[in-house]
Amino acid sequence: MQKTPLILDLKGNSLDDGPGIRTVVFFKGCPLSCVWCHNPESKKSGAEISFDKNECVGCNTCIETCPENALNRKNPFFIDRNRCTLCGACAEACPSGALSMVGRIMTVEDIVAIAAKDKPFFKNSGGGVTLSGGEPTLHMDFLSELLRNLKKEGIHTLLETCGLFEFKSFEKKVLPHIDTIYYDIKILDPEAHQQFCGVKNDRILENFKNLNVLSAKNDFELLARTPLIPNITATEKNLTRIVDFLNTQGVNQARLLAYNPLWHEKNEKIGTRNSFENDKEMTTWLPKEKHESFRTLYTDKRIDLG
Amino acid sequence: MFFFQPAREKTKFSPINILLNTLLKVFAANFNFRPGLKKYLKSDLGWIDFSIGFRTDSGSVASAVIFKNGKVSVTKIIPKNIDTMLTFHSDGAVLKLLSATPTEQLFMVLKGQLSTAGNQSHLNLFFFFLSLLLNNKQKKLMEKERKISKKALLKETPAHNKELSDDLQKRFAYRMKADSIDKNVKFLDDPFLSEYGLDDFPRVKDFLDIHFEVKPEVCPELPKLVTDWHKQNGYEKDTNGNPWSPILRKGHAFKHLMENRKPLIRKNDLIAGTTTTKDIGVVVYPEGHGTMIWGELLTVPHRTLNPYDVSEDTLNVLHHEIFPYWSNRNFKEWVRDKYDNPLCQQIDERFAIYFLWKSVTISHTIPDFPKLMSMGTGKMIAEINEQMKPFKDGSNEKASLEAMILCLEGLTSYSKNLAAYAAEKAGAEKDEKRKAELENLAKICSQIVEKPARTLDEAVNAMWISWVGLHMESTNAGLSLGRLDQWLQPYFEADMEKLKTKEEKAEYIKHAVELIGCFYMRCTDHLPLTPDMANWVFGGSSSDQAITLGGMTPEGEDGVCDITYIFLKVTEMLSIRDPNVNARFSPGINSDTYLKRLCEVNLITSATPSMHNDDEVMASLEEFNYEIEDLRNWSATGCVEPTLSGKHIGHTNFQMMNMVAALEMALNNGTHPLLNWKLGPDTGKIEDDPFKTFDDFFDAFTTQFKFIIDQSIEYNEMLAEAHQVIRPTPLLSSVIDGCIRTGKDVTVGGAKYNSSGAALIGLADVTDSLLVIKKLVYDDKKITLKDLKKAVDENFENDPALHAMATKKVPLFGSGSDEAVAMADRIAKFAHDYYGSKKHYRGGKYAVGFWSMSNHVAYGTLTGALPSGRLSGKAFTPGLTPEPNASKNLLDNIRDVARLDTKNINNNIAFNVKVIPAAEDSREKTVNDMFSYVKTYFDLGGMQMQMNVVTSETLKDAMAHPENYRNLLVRISGYNAYFVTLNRDMQLELIERAEFGM
Repeated sequence: MQKTPLILDLKGNSLDDGPGIRTVVFFKGCPLSCVWCHNPESKKSGAEISFDKNECVGCNTCIETCPENALNRKNPFFIDRNRCTLCGACAEACPSGALSMVGRIMTVEDIVAIAAKDKPFFKNSGGGVTLSGGEPTLHMDFLSELLRNLKKEGIHTLLETCGLFEFKSFEKKVLPHIDTIYYDIKILDPEAHQQFCGVKNDRILENFKNLNVLSAKNDFELLARTPLIPNITATEKNLTRIVDFLNTQGVNQARLLAYNPLWHEKNEKIGTRNSFENDKEMTTWLPKEKHESFRTLYTDKRIDLG
Repeated sequence: MFFFQPAREKTKFSPINILLNTLLKVFAANFNFRPGLKKYLKSDLGWIDFSIGFRTDSGSVASAVIFKNGKVSVTKIIPKNIDTMLTFHSDGAVLKLLSATPTEQLFMVLKGQLSTAGNQSHLNLFFFFLSLLLNNKQKKLMEKERKISKKALLKETPAHNKELSDDLQKRFAYRMKADSIDKNVKFLDDPFLSEYGLDDFPRVKDFLDIHFEVKPEVCPELPKLVTDWHKQNGYEKDTNGNPWSPILRKGHAFKHLMENRKPLIRKNDLIAGTTTTKDIGVVVYPEGHGTMIWGELLTVPHRTLNPYDVSEDTLNVLHHEIFPYWSNRNFKEWVRDKYDNPLCQQIDERFAIYFLWKSVTISHTIPDFPKLMSMGTGKMIAEINEQMKPFKDGSNEKASLEAMILCLEGLTSYSKNLAAYAAEKAGAEKDEKRKAELENLAKICSQIVEKPARTLDEAVNAMWISWVGLHMESTNAGLSLGRLDQWLQPYFEADMEKLKTKEEKAEYIKHAVELIGCFYMRCTDHLPLTPDMANWVFGGSSSDQAITLGGMTPEGEDGVCDITYIFLKVTEMLSIRDPNVNARFSPGINSDTYLKRLCEVNLITSATPSMHNDDEVMASLEEFNYEIEDLRNWSATGCVEPTLSGKHIGHTNFQMMNMVAALEMALNNGTHPLLNWKLGPDTGKIEDDPFKTFDDFFDAFTTQFKFIIDQSIEYNEMLAEAHQVIRPTPLLSSVIDGCIRTGKDVTVGGAKYNSSGAALIGLADVTDSLLVIKKLVYDDKKITLKDLKKAVDENFENDPALHAMATKKVPLFGSGSDEAVAMADRIAKFAHDYYGSKKHYRGGKYAVGFWSMSNHVAYGTLTGALPSGRLSGKAFTPGLTPEPNASKNLLDNIRDVARLDTKNINNNIAFNVKVIPAAEDSREKTVNDMFSYVKTYFDLGGMQMQMNVVTSETLKDAMAHPENYRNLLVRISGYNAYFVTLNRDMQLELIERAEFGM
């Protein structure tokens, strides 16, 4: 793994990734490989190329530019990713932005400078910077340096994590600079977690327990979150188990993330497919009543969902 | 009349000429031989004589219709002294005109298929005659147009989505409570008045129903009384044959009008007096643009947008008695006669480059209500008599002061007539409660306007009666109300202090809300006369009576008070387009609670109030060296523009200028492409590669811009002269500081402060276009200017890659690019400095602002594709709002607009933002998000911001199913309108605005 992470995007004016108006830094690369991943372009750590057919004006400048002859309109993905060397010439030449490079190298200073521009908005809204991904903790040193500098600027910091990290290192490098952690607890059953997220969940749960203990006496906030994915995480069985787990830990706050079905086309842009494209439940919004019934599983056990 | 020079050489006539000639002969025969039509050739002063010529550019058509002594004749030779000439740019257009609806006729002018010269009143009269013959056909055509467009809309959105309209209604149900009480709020326990909703005020609710359900009707009262007076007493000369002093003539005519108007009180109203005799009346100002409606008198009740009723009596009075008298006695025709239809006027009448509001009115100011309420007309007359002493008999000063007295006497008479009427009504009233109210109104109206107001009810009635008077004096467009919270608070406090118990106080606060509710609804009792043309150019606009709330007091203290919140409550409950509510926010002085309340009202009403940063607006006016107390007393006028209340004639909307026209002319060596008219100086043909550097091109742009600015200012000064002769405004002068002291009317510079303000349209479009030229042609050398212009001329149809590059690869204004902001500043600075360098006829300066009413849509329709990639005919952005594709991040938009140099913007801006609340968010969260945007925008130096809180999906649904959205309020650029009353282009513009989720 390279030393500095690739950054997918810096998204300003986010109102859903923590309190107030926030700037979200999306890291590229994730140790999990959830089958429903809503940001499929954030899975791999390395650079990728993306093609958005809706933006393409059909001028063919890119085809003429590509030194590897990797572009062909007959190819359903347009780009032959086996030939492509990720030189970026086509993205540079593309007038419409339909072709673009996914992931760029940014220094800590670059990121802090961009985020600091939003400080007046943070101040009035109680917002700050959210580190998301991908998984930011894959780059613990970089993350540490970034957080330290953000705090130096007086910016509120929030980490969104899948929880799969080396605890000691996290505790030493990251935790001192963090105000809030949004911690994903997706599936409680180890086998199912392995099946749908590609790894076991023992370390994730263990890390959560440890953090929970620390948060009681330290100055940071910890919030467990579960994305509602039809028939995977959003089952009565799984959610009941999560509630039990939280109860055992003495946790009385959590969040359920509503399912958003609008992620499928993102796969095509980076040349992948997912197996849920024709799954009815995966391509529609979760019915309100269902969402409500899931919520009561929590509220019945006195876990506040905000 | 003007003189037409026939072509010397012999031209070949086309077959169309024969056909036209035949048709005109049929037309003539109808009027000559059918008594039912012939009677329209006559006014009460005799036969209406005039002539209309028809020709084509090529000379292939030439005919004239001559109306003389009750005979209509048609000639093939156009007489030299033709009154009005229509020049067509193709043979086909000639016939199209004769069979078109009034709207289509208008579009022929707009789209350059036809140009007109000479007297416009007569042109409208000719259209009226055509309509007498064809109105059944015209009505059917209009109906057909409506059906076709409805069908298309229903095809796209077949079923109404009730969830969307319900969602808007639900916003009224939830009401936040204030979390703190401002220092100068003395009596409200919950400043947000969350306990009240519209259902608690059935009287006001009924008025709101009338507002939405009653069809407005044209009212002839004002023009009839005024015309009768002039016929009796003369216009140019008095009955002794001596020339009238215009101002004395106006004083006498106004007094006559006010003494003889019908005193009326609307059923159940707490405020006496009306602007017209109709429930909702359309006021006709014959010396302004009144005759513009002549051609539409028969079709106006049937048109699609904003139809009005015109009764047969009204039609006859207007046609036979009023309009003929004023055909030449109005601003535009006065200029045409005196200056021989100058080029600057011809440009104005083509609508694509600039439009001068001065051809309609000069109002756009804020009267000194505190003076009128606290002194009453009695003491004011005494003051004027005292001031008059040093002036000689026969002097202009003495005449002006005498005219002011006449006007104030007229106002007093109207108030007394209302008192008598109220007493009479009370006598006949059976309901005891209403009887008491009417008796009280009788008492109020005998006290005011002559003597000082003592209570809130008296103050509000005094204000309304003088407001009626001011609207009887000059056109109901943009005349504004000012800082009513500051001015009414003392009366409210005095009333409250007299009350003992908690219950009494609570009851009185409720009464105050109801009274202000009645006042808002009074303000909706009149509409401006809108020819169909104005539906396209100024769609959905009402009178734009701006109210200003909050901010700092003249002493620099916190101005937010009880009445501020009472007005906000009324604004929230009624959610109406007019009065146009503007709120000042003074950073460091006004509270966050107040700003949050502004955001909540904005969310509930979806469009109002518009919010201003006190510090920045005042900083933008620094160059004028206004006295600090006066400066702190600024109010928004019409749309957003600053006027120093009661002391300033800022005619803040003297013109709507299309800056993009200058850019198009620079690309075409001085020719305006759509009008196909070589107007401006030679700045170089792009084909000859005349611009070696970007600055060379920028110079060409400013050269063309200077030319149209010069023309528009020349016309402004001519129209200003027309106002001095045709419509001095002595009543207004009596309530503007400086006029009584100097004995000068406001039209000649009597006010303490003077200026004129322009609205410059298309800043984002011009900035982005220049950025594209700079980056792609000069910096990166990706393309030649010649090729770019070719793509522009072809509407980018043959070069999608270039179109993509222009729209996607150049950092635009609103994207966070320093270069883009610098470019916008450069353009604004040029405009500010150049306008500022022009001599202003009343003293003071020309000021510039970047807001657009609705002209960004109309001018967009009349503009080809632009280097920015904006396609032909598309709307420009509203005000100085960035292009929707500038950034996906609203913060970039906010930052770029905020950091523009406000020193270049001394007539304010309109920055439109469309934000959408998330369905699952609480009211508090949504309000906090909106608050964070506005507060930060102000912290960063932003001047003004206005939010539409409605989704495109809802707007689309409303477009197809208007019956479910009668009160859907939207902010255009500076003013509010009901979405369903807008023309299609404006609706689409609103839908296509960038939408930012919250």
